Order: sequence, then structure tokens, then C-alpha cells
Amino acid sequence: MSVVLQSLPHLLRGALSTLGLAAAVLVVGSVLGLAVGLLRFVPWRAAAAAVGWVVELVRAVPLLLLLFFIFFGLPALSVRIPTFPAAVLAMSLWMAANTAEVVRGGVQSIPRGQVEAARSLGLGWAATMRFVILPQATRRMLPPFVGLCTILVKDTSLAAIIGVFELTRAAQETIERTLRSFEIYGVAAAIYFALCFPLTRLAARLEARLSPS
Amino acid sequence: MTGGPAAYTFEWSAVWRGLPYLLQGAGLTVFISGVAMVLAAALGLALAVATQTGGRAVRRLVDAYVELFRNTPLLIQIFIVYFGLPQLGLRLSPFLSGLSALVLYAAAYNAEIFRAGLEAVPKGQHEAALSCGLSPGQALRAVIVPQAVRIAFPALGNNLVSLVKNSSLVSTIGMVELMFVANDISFNNFRTFEIYGAAAVLYVVLVLALTRLLRVAETRMARAA
Repeated sequence: MSVVLQSLPHLLRGALSTLGLAAAVLVVGSVLGLAVGLLRFVPWRAAAAAVGWVVELVRAVPLLLLLFFIFFGLPALSVRIPTFPAAVLAMSLWMAANTAEVVRGGVQSIPRGQVEAARSLGLGWAATMRFVILPQATRRMLPPFVGLCTILVKDTSLAAIIGVFELTRAAQETIERTLRSFEIYGVAAAIYFALCFPLTRLAARLEARLSPS
Repeated sequence: MTGGPAAYTFEWSAVWRGLPYLLQGAGLTVFISGVAMVLAAALGLALAVATQTGGRAVRRLVDAYVELFRNTPLLIQIFIVYFGLPQLGLRLSPFLSGLSALVLYAAAYNAEIFRAGLEAVPKGQHEAALSCGLSPGQALRAVIVPQAVRIAFPALGNNLVSLVKNSSLVSTIGMVELMFVANDISFNNFRTFEIYGAAAVLYVVLVLALTRLLRVAETRMARAA
């Protein structure tokens, strides 16, 4: 028990770093994802389809492989990225692809008549998206997006494998010193739970508020 | 390609040489995902039925399980099973550790999916089954669960796709599936770009094939209903 107490500050520093990593990915990934998601609805069919394919390909690859490809694979092309930016890059690609999928679901849930009405009022494609579709779609997008953020916080643990200092890495370092894997991983799990559970509840509440019943 | 001393020449033959091993790894990825999904579906269904039929204490317990496993990283769960449990005297092989962590994780999601499925079956179905003379147990087995499974099918399929991707995490404890094989080969021949690229292609093929297959099964099921 005292081992747990002694290691707590180190683990909390790790948790702080986990939040930093998640926040960086959240910003980069969701902005990119929103842009990519909207690109799937550009009037130019071929481009929209190509964007769709790229999103599907990125989503089909495990995040761990994406991470290894960027951290171990790209140096082969003389592109050497340090651990933290490599993790941010890999996870942002993952986040962007999944956010794009959420955006697609949200936009598709808006009746086509809305687009037609906006276009016949003389609004261009961008203005239609910006002033008519997105404000309505955002409500639909919010619950799955919060769910995605929960997964993101959990998946930042993968960064430990390439050596980024965050909560899981902090736990590993503590265990190398104390050899108490059960307790330390247990505490790490509890901290992750404290970060993720409120997000899960928020997603559920948003979902409940959206459903008609 | 020319350039400085760090210039890299692609050697795609490395992929060719590594292909049998990579395919073997992909086979194990399919195998462990499949086995884990079958077990996780059974466990998830059992938990969902327990919340519907059991008392409040049972529901609380299942809720706690579901929230605990959905709100902590799979990687940590794998590490607790593989590195943590031996401390309590339970030592499992990498295969069994990886498998049980994947099953416990996926079952938490499946329990939620099945619960939603069970709740979506109209109440009248249960009443009708009882008034036909079926016992509550028979009604559940023969009338409610089959309909709930059909409703749950698309979400279960998505969970299976996630499981195939998530199974890459068990490479960290030494299970020789596709991700492990990719690491193994590329750390030996330093052809990281080609080998990880090839592994990515294999995952994409697996996931897209599975997605197509599930979509076909879904439309078949909808037509049969």
C-alpha cells in the first residue's frame, strides 16, 4: 500500500502528460477530421470518393501499427520524428479519420431538402455547409464525438510502447523499481477510469437528450 | 534514389521473403479475434440476460463490470493479466493472457449491445410467448434472444472489426500475431518501411473483407426477417 502512495506523484505526473497528449491530438485531429469529413461532400464526386477511400484505409489500420510505421518506418526515408510528436502525428491521423466518419454521419442525418433549399436560396456549397448543415449536424455529431474522445484518452496509452512519458509509461517505470505490477497497473487503471468515466457519462447524457423518447 | 549518406533504397523483396511469416501472423490475428469474439459474445449475452432477469444487485454488478472495462485502456488490462496476476499466483501464457484480456474487454461492449437489443424487442413478444404456454425461460430462449441477436448484429459486427484491430496490442506481451511478426521481421532486417507497410496492407485487406462479409450477412438477415 505504501508503495502505491509513494508512486502516486509520479503516476499523476504521467496522467498530466496523458492529458497533454490527448489535448494535442484532440485539437489537431478534430480540426483535420472536420475538414476531411466535409470534403466527402464536395460537389466534385471523384474527389469526395477519394477522400472517403483514404478515411476508410486509415481506419482499417490498427493505431499501434500507424504509430510504429511513423516512428520506426519513416526514419527509413530519413524522416526522423521524436517520440512525442510521432505519437501526436499517429494519433491525430487516427482521430482525424474517425472524426471524419462522425462528421459524415452527422451531415448525412440532415434531410437532403435542407441542402436543396439552401442552394436554391443562392448559397454556395461552403455557405450551405457553414450556415445550414453544420449547425444542425453538430447536435447529432456531439455524442459519438465525445465517445471518440474517451477512446482517444484510453488509446494514448499506446504511446508508452514507443517510449513517450505518459501514464502507462510512468506505471512501467514505477514497476521497474518496485516490481509491484498488480497494484501499480491497478492504480493507473483507476486514474484512466477517473478521466474516462465522466466522458462516457457525458456522451450517454447527450445521447439521451437527443433521442425523441 | 540518390542523396546523402542516409539515402534509403527500397528493398521490396524483403516483403516477399517475409510474406509467409506475415501471413502466418495474419492467420493468428484472425484466429484469436474469432475465438475472442465467440467467447465475448457468449459472455456479453449472458451478462445482458442477467441484467434483464436478475435483481438489482446483479444489475449493479454487471454495470460495474461494463463501466470498468470500457473506461480503462485495453493495454493496461492486458498488462494486468500478464504481469499483474502472476503476483497473485495466477500465471497465464501470453496466448491465454492476451485472449482473456481481449474477451473481457470485448464482452463489456457486447453486454451493452445485447442489452440494447433485448430492450428493443417489443414487450408484447414476451407476453405473447407466455400466453402461448411457454415458460419464462423458454420465452427468453426461443422468442426474445433470437430477435435481440438480430437487432444487435450490426453493432456486434462493428465490435468484431474493432477486435481485429485491437488484437494487435497482444503483440506487446509476445503473442505471435501479425503485429508481432511485423516487429520481429523489421527489427531483424531493418526494412521497417516495407514490412510495416506490408502489415498495414494485410490489416486493410482483413478489415475490408470482414466489413464486406458482415454487410452481406446483414442484408441476408434483414431479408430473412
